Amino acid sequence: MSPRREAEGDLQRVLAMVPWLGNHRGATKAEIAARFGIPLDQLERDLALIMMVGVPPYSPGDYIDIDYEGDTVDVSFAPYFTRPLRLTAAEGLALLAAGRALLAVPGSDEHGPLATALDKLEAVLGVSEVVVDFAAPDHLGAVRDAAEHGTRIEVEYWSAGRDALTTRRIDPGPPFFALGEWYTDAYDHLRGESRMFRVDRIRSVRATDETFPAVPAGAPNAVYNPRADDQRVTLELPASASWIAEDLPAESVEELPGGGQRVVLAVSETAWLERLLLRAGPEARVVDPPELVDVGPAAARRLLVRYQVA
Amino acid sequence: MTDTPDRRERLLNLLAALLESRQGLTRDEIVTNVSLGYPPAPESARKAFERDKASLRAMGVPVREENRDNEFRYRVDPNEYYLPDLELAEGELEALHVAVTAIGLGAGDGEGAGAGALMKLGGLEGTGGMPVAELPLVDALAPLFDASRRRAAVEFEYRGRSRRIEPWGLTSKFGRWYVVGQDLGSGEMRVFRADRIAGDVVATEPDAFTVPADFLADAYLADQPWEYGGGAAIPVWIRIDAGHETELAGQVNADTPIVREEDGSVVVELSVVNLDGLRSFVLGYLDHAEVLSPPEARAVVIDWLTAIAGDTP
Repeated sequence: MSPRREAEGDLQRVLAMVPWLGNHRGATKAEIAARFGIPLDQLERDLALIMMVGVPPYSPGDYIDIDYEGDTVDVSFAPYFTRPLRLTAAEGLALLAAGRALLAVPGSDEHGPLATALDKLEAVLGVSEVVVDFAAPDHLGAVRDAAEHGTRIEVEYWSAGRDALTTRRIDPGPPFFALGEWYTDAYDHLRGESRMFRVDRIRSVRATDETFPAVPAGAPNAVYNPRADDQRVTLELPASASWIAEDLPAESVEELPGGGQRVVLAVSETAWLERLLLRAGPEARVVDPPELVDVGPAAARRLLVRYQVA
Repeated sequence: MTDTPDRRERLLNLLAALLESRQGLTRDEIVTNVSLGYPPAPESARKAFERDKASLRAMGVPVREENRDNEFRYRVDPNEYYLPDLELAEGELEALHVAVTAIGLGAGDGEGAGAGALMKLGGLEGTGGMPVAELPLVDALAPLFDASRRRAAVEFEYRGRSRRIEPWGLTSKFGRWYVVGQDLGSGEMRVFRADRIAGDVVATEPDAFTVPADFLADAYLADQPWEYGGGAAIPVWIRIDAGHETELAGQVNADTPIVREEDGSVVVELSVVNLDGLRSFVLGYLDHAEVLSPPEARAVVIDWLTAIAGDTP
């Protein structure tokens, strides 16, 4: 962050803090620091700054009267900055987007304090048209319950990469939504390691009588972790397949004359690459490695057999 | 450009003076006020004041500039500056804190803006929440949100064309953000993916349109790729092999007719507007699905696959 942005951030906090202090005389420094997300020494600097603010003609009564000698802070007189500054567009949007999103998570309380807070916010901002929808895969609730209670579950899981259905026992972590899908970071007893599962690919859930210590949720691991030994595939794509570079974590994207792109992707499973190439169409092609150049055409010929025209 | 504690102090004192002044202050009055501490040299003082004014505006402070008797006067109208009291209960503030920490809005405007908003509403109440979803905001969204709120039309570049729309609302589906509104070129309701908007979003005059009370931003987004676009829907039947039909549940509407055959496969009847979207959907099943009829829908898949297969088998 540039020094200038940093100064503006400090000022925003101070401008929010003054009215709060005026309404909460005698609050402890520890409480104020926690509430405004800063360490105690930063709070001391903020308070020293507040004390320096006055208005013309700058006689003693024109300064904010603040006492912060001990462990508490007492603002007895603030002639201005009596209310916080209005929300910026980015701030209003961030609150509404986060709030509407959390309310849209299946299982949220649609009439709880978050809903009433957002109604109040919208009344002041004058908007009501931020709408968030999440997909709600069939077994999302079952996975969340198992994660919460530490219930080991047996799932049928469809692996898109290998196009195969397997049954395995997993210890699921709390589900989370990223890149348009619900995931659970789970310990997989079939492979003996933790891995990411897509909740919509879980075909069935059966609770076992085994348990595991439910982990409190921290920040989830990255959804996409290409392994070092995943094959790198270079594709040339027409403009109509620009969704690939937009939606998938490409390792590199190079614009080509005529609107196309050359994209490098990490590919661990052939079925995944087949699906991508069939959707991208006849103008998309693998340029490297040579042994994968025919993956798309071969898959197309295989499907045509089913349509009895090959 | 140093940001010493002095500059913060000067900015706060400048803001206080602008808020307190009913008549407004001229630049001379401001920079010669010794309590504000501007540099003595007129040119340096002028530059410092311009920088301070820009900083205040960047923070969202509505600094008014009025030309009176051929002299610019600056002030901040308290009615424009002060946030009305939302009268949030402690539990409501706590719930907003949970939302801001649970929903990742991305590294750009998102996270910091949510925390900044909470400060203004009364600080970080409670302990926040665990991460639940990532829904990154893109740059175009804040100006679109602002224009929508002020009912101002906007212009932007989208897929190589300049568009002019009334932004009626924002919606997020499938993890992406969209703006829904009336296209002033075609006169029709349109949906634009926010991450495909290039360059700046330019807003025009406020209060330029009204949004019907029954408007629902997400109603304009087709749920399925085969529902995109205008035109009449035709029924299309597809077969999905046994063992692969469970994926359907999340992909088709609950009232979609599905018939199970003796071999365990299912035949699904879809109402299709967009045959290209249908093709992409069916190809996602690789060789575990097939378009059965009508022939024109089958031909779309066969022609596409034939072109991919090429001449040399």
